[in-house]
Amino acid sequence: MAGLSVKHLLGIKNINASDINLIFETAENFKEIINRPIKKVPSLRDITIANLFFENSTRTKLSFELAEKRLSADVLNFSASGSSVSKGETLVDTVNNILSMKVDMLVMRHPNPGAAVFLSKHISVNIINAGDGTHEHPTQALLDAFTIKEKLGELQGKKIAIIGDIMHSRVALSNIFCLKKIGAEVMVCGPTTLIPKYISSLGVEVSHNLREALEWCDVANMLRIQMERQDIKYFPSIREYIMQFGLTKAILDSLHKKILVLHPGPINRGVEITSDVADSSQSVILNQVENGVAIRMAVLYLLAGKIHNQD
Amino acid sequence: MKLLIKNVKIVDPNSPHNKKKRDIFIKDGIIEKINRAVRIIGKDVEMIDAKGQHISPGWFDMKVNFCDPGYEYKEDLQNGLKVAANSGFTGVGIMPSTNPSIHNKSSIEYLINSAKGHAVHVFPFGAISVKRESKELAEMYDMHSSGAVAFTDDKNPIKESGLMLRALMYSKNFNGIVVSFPYDESLAHNGQMHEGIMSTSLGLKGIPSLSEEVMIIRDLNLAEYADARIHFTCVSTAHSVELIRQAKAKGLKVTADVCINNLILDDEYLHDFDSNFKFLPPLRSKDDITALKQGLKDGTIDVICSDHTPENIENKQCEFEHAANGSIGLETFFGLANNFLSDTLSTEELIQKIAINPRKLLNLAIPQINEGERANLTLFDTESEWTFTEKDILSKSKNTPYINWKMKGKALRTFNN
Repeated sequence: MAGLSVKHLLGIKNINASDINLIFETAENFKEIINRPIKKVPSLRDITIANLFFENSTRTKLSFELAEKRLSADVLNFSASGSSVSKGETLVDTVNNILSMKVDMLVMRHPNPGAAVFLSKHISVNIINAGDGTHEHPTQALLDAFTIKEKLGELQGKKIAIIGDIMHSRVALSNIFCLKKIGAEVMVCGPTTLIPKYISSLGVEVSHNLREALEWCDVANMLRIQMERQDIKYFPSIREYIMQFGLTKAILDSLHKKILVLHPGPINRGVEITSDVADSSQSVILNQVENGVAIRMAVLYLLAGKIHNQD
Repeated sequence: MKLLIKNVKIVDPNSPHNKKKRDIFIKDGIIEKINRAVRIIGKDVEMIDAKGQHISPGWFDMKVNFCDPGYEYKEDLQNGLKVAANSGFTGVGIMPSTNPSIHNKSSIEYLINSAKGHAVHVFPFGAISVKRESKELAEMYDMHSSGAVAFTDDKNPIKESGLMLRALMYSKNFNGIVVSFPYDESLAHNGQMHEGIMSTSLGLKGIPSLSEEVMIIRDLNLAEYADARIHFTCVSTAHSVELIRQAKAKGLKVTADVCINNLILDDEYLHDFDSNFKFLPPLRSKDDITALKQGLKDGTIDVICSDHTPENIENKQCEFEHAANGSIGLETFFGLANNFLSDTLSTEELIQKIAINPRKLLNLAIPQINEGERANLTLFDTESEWTFTEKDILSKSKNTPYINWKMKGKALRTFNN
C-alpha cells in the first residue's frame, strides 16, 4: 500500500489529494473500530508520542490523546504554562529536551504561524501540526471534510461556505486548501475587516453577506470569533457582529434547502450561531468531534508507518 | 608609501580618464600620475598588475548598523569597519539605532573618534528625536556641528506629522538632511511580511504596500510645505517609486535609496517561514522589483544601500513572529549587485549609485580619479564567479539568506588615506 507523500503533517498545503483520500480511507476503518466494544488496537505499541501544547486547547488535545491511546501508543503530555518556556527556553531547546527522552512523534500546537515548519527543520522526528497560530490546523480540516463527505456522499462540486473571522482562523486556511484539493467549491464570508485582502488568490469566492453565502452553499462552516487573536478591534461590538453574521434558526429555515452546519468548536452560543441552530438536525457538530478521533488515528497511524520505513 | 597600479580600467564619471585603461601612481595617499604607461622603478614601490580589473572612487554604503554601543555581541565598530573595508567600502553611514541611541553630540563623537585613522571613514546619522522615541527633537544642530551627516530615527518612523515637519524646518537652518523611513505602523499592524498572496497562504499578517506609500505622500507634502530637503530610505514598492518620480519632476528636493535585498529577493522566498528572508521593509512582489529597477535606471532612485543589519542567531533562529528583521549585507553587496543588476545598470551606473550619489546627496566631498587628488579608491573585478559560503562572513553575526548563492565580481582592495 502506498503511504503518505510526507513525513510530517505540517499543513494541508504540503499534502496532495491522494494523501487526503488515503487518510479518509484509513479513518473509515478506524471509525468502525472505535465503535466496537473493544475500541483499542495495538498498531502503535512501542511508539511514544509527545503532545506539546504551547497554547490552550481542550478538544484537540483530548482528541489526539484519545486517538493515541486507542492505537496503544505511549503518551506524554506537555503544556506550556508553568513549564520552562515561561523561563525563556527556546522552542528547539524545549523540544530537544523532550526528544532526548526517546520520543518518536510530536503533536504540537503553538501560537505562532509556521512554528511546526520551523521545528521540522531542526528535529528529526515526525511532527503533526495541531494548529500553529493563524496558519494551519490540518487535522481539523480533514475531519471537517471527512464529516461532509460522510453526510453528502462526496465532496466533488459541493459548495462550502466558511463564515466568520477568516483572518485569524487557521481552520479557514486549512479548510480552503483541503476542500479545493478534493474538488469542492469554497466561499468565505465575514466582515470586510476580518477577510484578508488577497484571499481570492486562493481560489475562493468572497462574500460579506450572510444570506448570500447561505443561499449559495450546501454546507456552512461557522467559525468562532477569535477574540484572543484580535489585538485591535476589527468591528465595533459583538452585538453588531451578530446582527450581520449570526446564524439563527429563522434564517436557516427561510432557505429553500437543508444545508449542513459545521462548527470547529468551541461554540459561542448566541454569537456565531444560536443554540437552536447548534442543536438542530442540520448541525453535525458532534459528528465532527467523533470523526476527529478517527481522523487523528489515521494520521498518526500513517505517519508512524514512516518511522518504520526510516529504520 | 608608493603604489603603482598597472593596466586598470578607470570607472569614474567625474574623471577625464573615465572608461580608459591606465596606470595609476599613488604617493603618500595622493594620486601623482595617471597615464597609459607609468614607469616608476624602485624597491619601495608596490606594483599591482590590475589587468582586467576596474578601479573607481571608493564605495560608500549609506545605511549600515555596527550595533556599537550597546549590542557589541552582534557587531562592534572595529570589526564592522574591517568588514566594510574588505567588502570594498571606504565610507559608511552609520544608523543611530544603538543603545543608547546616537542622539547627542557625545554619541556622535564616540563614533567618529573610535574610527579615527581607519581606512573606512565613518559618517554618523544622528537621531531626529531623543532616544528615537518620536517625542521631542534631539539636539540636531549640536550633532551636525560634531559631524552628523544626516538625521533619521532609522526604522522607528516619526509617527507624528507635526514632529516630522518641525524636524524638516529646523534642520534647514544648518542645511541638515532629514531621512525618512516611510512606514505607517498602524497600517502594518503586527505585520510580518509583504501583504499579498504569499502572506495569505502562510496566515501571516501582511505589511501592505500602502503603509509605505501613505508615509511617502505625507512626508513629500511636509517637505514641500517646509521647502526642505528630504531623503527616503529603503523604498520598496512600485507606487513609492512613482510618487518620488512625480515629486522629482515637480522640482521637490527629494532623493531616495533602495536596499539591495529589495532588488533581488521577493516574498515567495518566505514560502517555508525562513526567517533569514524576514526584512523591513519586507520583500515585496516581482512587480515591485521591476519598478524599483526602473526607478534606479531613470534616476528616480539615487542610491543602493546594503542595510547591513547584524543579528545574533538567537534572534533569527526562532519562531517567525519572534525573529528579528534584516541581514548582514556588506560581504555580499557587490557580488549580488554586479550579478543581479547587470540587466539594469552598467558598471559605471552602478558606481554612480554606490560611490558618487550617496556622497553627493549627503553634501560630502566626492573622490575623483585624477592627478593631484587624494586617493580614495576601490579596486574590483566584475567577472570572477564565486559561491558565498559561511567562511566568507567576517561579521560577528552570520545572519544572511545568501549562503551558497552565486556571486559575480568582488572588491579586491581599497585605498584610502
